[in-house]
Amino acid sequence: MNFLVEGFFQAFRLLVSGNSETYAAIAVTLKVSGYSIGCSLLIGIPFGFCLGYFDFSGKKTIRMLVDTLMALPTVFIGLLVYAFLTHRGPLGNFGLLFTLPGIAIGQTILALPIVVALSATAVENMDPKLRCAIMSMGASRRQLFLSSLWECRHGILAGALAAYGRVMTEVGISMMVGGNIKWHTRTITTAIALETNKGKFGMGVALGLVLMIIALGVNVSVSFFRRRN
Amino acid sequence: MVSPVYELQSLEHAYGDRAVLSIAHLTVQPASIVGLIGPNGGGKSTLLKLMGLIERPTRGKILFNGRPVEPFSDVARFQISLLPQEPFLMKRSVFKNVSYGLKLRGAKDIAVKVSEALLRVGLDGKDFSGRPWYALSGGEAQRVALAARLVLKPKVLLLDEPTASVDVASAHLIRQAALWARRELDTTLIVASHDWPWLYEVCDSILHLYNGRIFGTGRETIIFGPWEKLDGQTWGKTLSDGQRLRVPPPPGRAAAAVIDLTSVGDNERMGAEADVVLSGIVSRLSFEKKTGQVFAALLAGDLSFSIKLPHRQNESPAFFPGKTVRFRYRLDQVRWI
Repeated sequence: MNFLVEGFFQAFRLLVSGNSETYAAIAVTLKVSGYSIGCSLLIGIPFGFCLGYFDFSGKKTIRMLVDTLMALPTVFIGLLVYAFLTHRGPLGNFGLLFTLPGIAIGQTILALPIVVALSATAVENMDPKLRCAIMSMGASRRQLFLSSLWECRHGILAGALAAYGRVMTEVGISMMVGGNIKWHTRTITTAIALETNKGKFGMGVALGLVLMIIALGVNVSVSFFRRRN
Repeated sequence: MVSPVYELQSLEHAYGDRAVLSIAHLTVQPASIVGLIGPNGGGKSTLLKLMGLIERPTRGKILFNGRPVEPFSDVARFQISLLPQEPFLMKRSVFKNVSYGLKLRGAKDIAVKVSEALLRVGLDGKDFSGRPWYALSGGEAQRVALAARLVLKPKVLLLDEPTASVDVASAHLIRQAALWARRELDTTLIVASHDWPWLYEVCDSILHLYNGRIFGTGRETIIFGPWEKLDGQTWGKTLSDGQRLRVPPPPGRAAAAVIDLTSVGDNERMGAEADVVLSGIVSRLSFEKKTGQVFAALLAGDLSFSIKLPHRQNESPAFFPGKTVRFRYRLDQVRWI
């Protein structure tokens, strides 16, 4: 168990000393997860809102599909995205394989069903009297949408957090689509996998702790936002 | 002649296959007070939602100031406001709830207007503005919801059972605030309520909604089934005090009968064969502002009957609540709905 304690101290040393390799992995992780969570929120929240708000034929089927996609294995997404982005694939001409945008595409596919499903759940749980209350104040369609979204912000935020957690901690997509290239596409999780393979448990634990610190920072920020609102 | 603020033409509404409202034609004059009465499920809330442009009617047209309108219509959405039956506040402070509609309209001096509106419903802005939505009692929440409508100075204010679930003091403040809007802002008030005495006192007209249709003014006596054969011959029901209420053969066992009382007094005697005389207690006297008439509610067994009193009777000190009287109706004038 000494390697856990050693890892803790090593994490502290790596962060304080400004270890460039560690900070490069942190920067790549934040950048790529930022891209993917941004895209998935942009697409997922309106889609999830419509899925939860409106009644239409086929709604249950779509809902079941989205719920199923939440359980997509990351290596399978990695495999599919790899197949599309490889030189022989249909999107090979864009040269996205082993790049950050390539990883972001895969991670967006991973996060999107989570954002959609949890946004739809938040909207479905919205008090049905809210629509009447907002409309009776004279809201337009756009204002009704924005106000309803704001009213279920906590549920949507919980979905965004869950998706961000999933994206930050995945290995399969980053490894297969990014290639774990040092200084370039190496994320914290792929670095942990590499260091553990090399037998450097302490370094792996250290990077894991860094990941936990980032997650803590995100949650503290969100909690602060919730209290303010 | 003043053109109506509302005109409803061949309005029908259904939820799925179930028809809930059918109104051939209805007009509402501006700056009037219209009362909606009727049993639960009669269509009052649905009518208010349609008039409040919250829902689109299944069929028919709603004209507002002569122009056809529907949900989100720009010509009407800033002029009509509905206060739903159950108070609903958004997950924000009282100030943000009351100022919400003003912000949609890009209004100025919001803080002053919010404070005035809260005061109008008996709430001190200093104490209440910063309170979150969950820190209010039911009566306070209903008053905040009303303040959020009054602050908009709407041309039409639709109130759905505004005093149904609040205490006496809150109900008084809500009634006063609604009447203030009518008096000071020339707001047209359309109020659904079970508070009949108040409605008959303040309303210019009253509509009785029964099974989604406008049926009279609510002064009619409606007796619901089930009906049974009395003595194997006549139809009717036995009241809880043993008296027998006779009716002509009903179209169905659950049909509702409309019974118009013809007279009431101390010494009503059986006249023609078609006459039915019952004994009951005067339970309430109420005054109708528009007509200047006094109405009496009479309790026979567990049923309530209503009759318009002739002047000679309502001026008589002998006619008072608690007094036992006899009243009469004609079998051949009983209608079925």
